[in-house]
Amino acid sequence: MKFGLFYEISVPRPWTRETERTVYMNALEQVKLADDLGFDQVWAVEHHFLEEYSHCPAPELFLTACAMVTKKIRVGHGIIVCVPEFNHPIKIAERTATLDILSGGRLEVGTGRSATWTELGGFRSDPDITKKSWDEFVRCLPKMWTQDTYSYQGEFWSMPERCIIPKVYQKPHPPMWVAVTSPGTELDAADRGLGSLGLTFGQFAEQEKRIAEYRRRIQLCDPVGDFVNDQVSTVNFLYCEEDDEKARATGRRMADAFNYLASQLISAREAYPSRSYPSLGLLPQLRRQATGPDSSEQAGEGLALGGPERIIRALKKWEAVGVDRVNFLLNTMEIIPQGDVLASLRLFAREVMPAFRDAKTVNGGAA
Amino acid sequence: MPLFGTLELPSAVASLPTLRNLDTEPWTLPKAEIVQMAFEVPRATHALLPKALHPAIPSYVTIWVTRYPESPIGPFLLAQLRLMARAGAHPRGFVLRAYASTREAATGLRERWGLPTETATVTLKRRHDRVMAQVIRDGATILDAALVDPQPISGGDVQYIHSVTLAQAPLDGKTAPWLVQVDPRFTFHKAERGRPDVSRLDGEAWGAPGLALQNPIACTACTCDTDLPRIRFVMDPEVPVVRGTRKIRDSREAE
Repeated sequence: MKFGLFYEISVPRPWTRETERTVYMNALEQVKLADDLGFDQVWAVEHHFLEEYSHCPAPELFLTACAMVTKKIRVGHGIIVCVPEFNHPIKIAERTATLDILSGGRLEVGTGRSATWTELGGFRSDPDITKKSWDEFVRCLPKMWTQDTYSYQGEFWSMPERCIIPKVYQKPHPPMWVAVTSPGTELDAADRGLGSLGLTFGQFAEQEKRIAEYRRRIQLCDPVGDFVNDQVSTVNFLYCEEDDEKARATGRRMADAFNYLASQLISAREAYPSRSYPSLGLLPQLRRQATGPDSSEQAGEGLALGGPERIIRALKKWEAVGVDRVNFLLNTMEIIPQGDVLASLRLFAREVMPAFRDAKTVNGGAA
Repeated sequence: MPLFGTLELPSAVASLPTLRNLDTEPWTLPKAEIVQMAFEVPRATHALLPKALHPAIPSYVTIWVTRYPESPIGPFLLAQLRLMARAGAHPRGFVLRAYASTREAATGLRERWGLPTETATVTLKRRHDRVMAQVIRDGATILDAALVDPQPISGGDVQYIHSVTLAQAPLDGKTAPWLVQVDPRFTFHKAERGRPDVSRLDGEAWGAPGLALQNPIACTACTCDTDLPRIRFVMDPEVPVVRGTRKIRDSREAE
């Protein structure tokens, strides 16, 4: 199992230029430490207008900064919004290739389509067509990265023949993923040979079912890229401290704040009834966890909050249900002081990571 | 923390409906025809929202015009303007003003659920290419709106947000302002979506002086069985709902 970090860049009010900068600088410091400690990836979302919840509209810049201050950790778009008003496909291909070069081939490319009216309405995008435009974009990207020249005539965009440069550093191209929140999207990922970048928290039983279906389905996929990425990634909170009770209480405050902020978002479906958004995604779950009867011990199932032993037990369960990677959200609204976040990372690396090293790593590569 | 509403409660108290009690019997409302229009509105509307609630981001309103062909007080039409918000983590529509087509309906809605309802002429008419809604009060048109170009969708795609009203309610031996949660159920028989077109909305008449509708979002016309249930929760309008919520009964059916 591999471990990574996952950034929304949550900035509490009151906003000053210093608070925004502090949150970004804290995140960079965490990423640098995570690289030293052996974490495998760092992911950053693309969100727009989501006040306090996420101030990360230009993840490629943050990820470039991450790449420049680290050596090994992979940098991931989690995700690029594949909707024409948000991102032009040519720009996506160019930006990602440049980041792949600058990072020395450490790029992971997550794709998705946005799920809030706040964002879709802000860009005047049509919620009815986002799944279709995403499908078109993900089929174009690998070709734009790898072909000498490229031309395209599609439903949502077109271009005459040009040489799209630069080309990606990784061969044949970076691994591709799709954000999975709504039930069924994991099947869209599987059908296209894309990794499943899960963005929901907890609930082993449901995740196990969805992962099993993903694994079954991807064996017969028609990959959009030059290779199949059959990995399953999930997101989790992380706060680790020797004092289990204290760690759980602190971590719970962070998780509750995140869930509360997330529940403030206007889902696409809330404002704009559309078959394109048949479910509310992760919002109902987060709302229940924020204030409902699920805001109890049971809702903490599978969360990496507590002492090392508790976290090992939780992550072993994720491993058992088939998850390959877990990406951790470390803070929300800077509720946890930066020093404690860094200490939590160090303790996790010292006490938890060894329980997940394979024999080869444990034996120093001798196995 | 997310933003809160900034309504100065004393300025609103004089015009609030008064509930008889919190033991309102439910109304069953079969075959209701509901037209809902959603528009983004300026952030200045935060001043219309009680301090207990979070504004939606972006701010938006929904205009509801409903024909209830059957009810315990006979058929009536109802038009509402709701400012959308969050009660804690839950989406809610704060009712700014409502107009009912019969005096019985207006009185019942004020006294049972705290809807700030007055009497007016409310109409809902269907043509092949649009569904038109109009509200006329004292000879003046205060709402003239239409759903244009209706296209069939699934009722499962429609999410109606529950309402919150601000009313004087008797609790703990005294009558005071409370937010009242009104949470109907909906069983859909038919649903359509179209473009909202509002040619006239008199903000003053709807409790939102100077209101300017901005970015149109969506419009639906649905036929469904619904109800107005027993009151389950009331909330202190001046305190964040996570601290100021009082449970009146456990379930919609419970005493």
